[in-house]
Amino acid sequence: MSIVLDQVTKRYQGAPVVNDVSLNVRQGEFLVLLGPSGSGKSTLLRAIAGLTEIDHGRVALHGRDVTHVNSRERHVGFVFQHYALFRHMSIGENIEFALRVRKVKSAERRARRKELLKLVALEGMDDRLPAQLSGGQQQRVAVARALAHRPEVLLMDEPFGALDAKIREELRRTIRQIQRELDMTTILVTHDQEEAFALADRIGVMHQGRLLECGKPDDLYTRPATRFVSTFLGAANLLLGYRTPRGVRFSSTPMAGGDVPREVVAILRPEEVELCADELAVKSNFVSHGQVEEVLFGGAVERLRVRMASDGPVPVAPGRDGSAGQGSLLEVSRTLPEQRDFPVAVGQRVAVGARTIHVLPTPISSFTAVAANEAAARELRDSPLLLTLGARMQTRVATRIGRFERAPPGMPAIATGPDCAAAAEWHLTHGAVQLLCVPPTAPLPNHVVIHTLDAESRRATLAVAASLLRHVAAEAIYLGIQPETSAESARGAHMRNLLDARSAALADHGLDMRTELRPGAVAEELQKELAAYERSMLVLGTSNPETIQWDWLKSLLEGTPGRPVLIVNSARAEPAADS
Amino acid sequence: MAASWFRQPSILPGFGLTLGFTTFFLSALVLLPLAALVFKTTSLTWSEFLDVVLDERALASYRLSFGAAFIAATVNAFFGFIVAWSLVRYEFPGRRLVDALIDLPFALPTAVSGIALATVFSPTGWLGVRLQELFGIQVAYTWLGVVVALILIGLPFVVRSVQPALVEAQRDLEEAAETLGASPFTVFRRIILPAVLPALVTGFTMAFARGVGEYGSVVFISGNLPLKTEITPLLIVIKLEQFDYNGAAALGFMMLLVSFLMLFAINLVQSWSRRRHAGPADSARRVERRARPRNQKVGA
Repeated sequence: MSIVLDQVTKRYQGAPVVNDVSLNVRQGEFLVLLGPSGSGKSTLLRAIAGLTEIDHGRVALHGRDVTHVNSRERHVGFVFQHYALFRHMSIGENIEFALRVRKVKSAERRARRKELLKLVALEGMDDRLPAQLSGGQQQRVAVARALAHRPEVLLMDEPFGALDAKIREELRRTIRQIQRELDMTTILVTHDQEEAFALADRIGVMHQGRLLECGKPDDLYTRPATRFVSTFLGAANLLLGYRTPRGVRFSSTPMAGGDVPREVVAILRPEEVELCADELAVKSNFVSHGQVEEVLFGGAVERLRVRMASDGPVPVAPGRDGSAGQGSLLEVSRTLPEQRDFPVAVGQRVAVGARTIHVLPTPISSFTAVAANEAAARELRDSPLLLTLGARMQTRVATRIGRFERAPPGMPAIATGPDCAAAAEWHLTHGAVQLLCVPPTAPLPNHVVIHTLDAESRRATLAVAASLLRHVAAEAIYLGIQPETSAESARGAHMRNLLDARSAALADHGLDMRTELRPGAVAEELQKELAAYERSMLVLGTSNPETIQWDWLKSLLEGTPGRPVLIVNSARAEPAADS
Repeated sequence: MAASWFRQPSILPGFGLTLGFTTFFLSALVLLPLAALVFKTTSLTWSEFLDVVLDERALASYRLSFGAAFIAATVNAFFGFIVAWSLVRYEFPGRRLVDALIDLPFALPTAVSGIALATVFSPTGWLGVRLQELFGIQVAYTWLGVVVALILIGLPFVVRSVQPALVEAQRDLEEAAETLGASPFTVFRRIILPAVLPALVTGFTMAFARGVGEYGSVVFISGNLPLKTEITPLLIVIKLEQFDYNGAAALGFMMLLVSFLMLFAINLVQSWSRRRHAGPADSARRVERRARPRNQKVGA
């Protein structure tokens, strides 16, 4: 492995800007770190170069642990967004800088300079000054300079950010070519997805300090695991559906009878939508009827917005226009041949089909604030935690008042305080897969404690915790608790279990967390850990809610100050994530 | 258009007005009095003039004035840089206070700083006693006292001219040098210093110029012993007090001449270094702009 990052964490004024990132980059691989501004991607890159110290974790380059090595001994090439050329030195002097500080002989330096200038196609520019070159040329000099000392890895921080579109594309090709030619392990940071697709062997998407997903560009596009990646890479319609034996069903009207339906989040790419005159003409899976609301001609593709019938699919996140009584808006894009086959106009009624959908493996689909009366339900829905979670996960937070036969689909949320334990017990024994107990004023947690009451629930609990942690900038700790009296051998087994859990979480969800085994009683240890942090939260897993001992949970749920508690009922959780 | 051949393109109107003001002010406030000085000097004959300006006492005063100003400006260039560096690069309690204190020598009447220095450094003064005891150094009433006074007066010039240059110096240049394997010393010598040098030279020049002309703060601490601690401005004042206006003008003329030559030399060095660092780029760009059609992007 060329670059190995292990649980790299960087905090800025207490808040993690890079949060538990673990990543391996192969020799010769071109990895693009993609993310919106402020997602921590540049900080991570600087941490690899040694320009930023990290608070936790390990960085290794070519098998050499460089965590505590300063940047001049890390042997990396770094390319800055604004070139950072030495303006008082000629191009040649700039390129030779790394060799000069290494006291390389002048003949050798000159040969290397010539070679590099040829590589970046700037032969004969040796004696010019940086200010005499265009932006694109300057950045090529910066690349040549970064390669002069034959670094083991090349790191580029938005290298095309300051250039205009045409030069950017040209330079992109040059860089890709050089990278291939030298078989240089490269990490490039950008916020431009087009750039990421054009360059990357592998794309890592970062958001709020976490490396959400990392994979081949086409995999990430067609089979994203998270809401964020599915909407950040290309456009996507995120819809709530219900899993039925015959596939995913989109409808806003609940099904009659039976069990609580399994709610899932499906993405429907605009280009996978089929528009036809009527239901019978739809060749793919019919979704619903709709009315064309907007048509934008865009050259090769036409972009449309179709208002779905009110009993049609429910968007995951109610947009600005998701007003009551109206159906949701669907983004559609069509190629020229499609437009020729079936021209549409604004106001026209169409049948909508879906060629392919992709069901996100995320276990959290939507929230429902459950309360006894409307005011309480609204208060719960607008509580800081639920409000932010809903916004960050781009998901719906519905309300439900009073008692029903079954728990609502998705994740019900109830307020902590008096009677919370009883309500929690009722939900978990009436079909809830997960349950969130929310203190009305609790902020977003920055310390999440994960604990499972039995080994069977581990998998489902980790999945839910991972999904939660992708959207919350918090540190996670997976706590194993064992009676103090237990034997040494049992402790070993428990520890192994914990480490298994950690590697499973990392492999399956890209979630990196710390693990700890503590002796003591479950209730006390959890309470102690939660009390140690002001903004802590508990994620608790069980495979059988009937066996939960409510007396200790009750004190946690009904005491003050309350902490958010998420209970995962793995008995009803999905057997495995699928796509 | 008469002015068009030396006019720089500018979108703001009022070129004629501003140039007129500039010329008028320069003439009325700088050139006219200086011309009067030169004119006054010409009322002396050559031998009279040489007698005055090459007098032993006068020569000693030049040495002291220019020498002390040079030493003080050099010391200031060094320590002023360090002060500016710590003010720009570090965050420490009281930073703003220190920043404000730098300007104090600007604002204080020079006589006040002179008296203050004389009090502290006099053989019975708080610092003077200790320096005398510990190192056997006497500051007040020696040439060293003159240097100390000029350091105090000149410090803000260096700090205030280096500070903005340091603020502007891009951190990523230093980081780039570091990733390329440069040691902290190399980064300083090859990257930071070249970027700050023009500002440092400017600060040095101003501190030096101010030091040469300084009077108020020096006379209290120097002791004013003829041939030893007498600065040229003081000599001029003495001549004036003896109603020897022509002699005073002659000395003034010499100061003017030497100052002008030294400033001119420093300016030459500076413009040479500027040409070396950025000049060719500018001229090349100008050539390019002329050679290319208007709407094309420069250097693209």
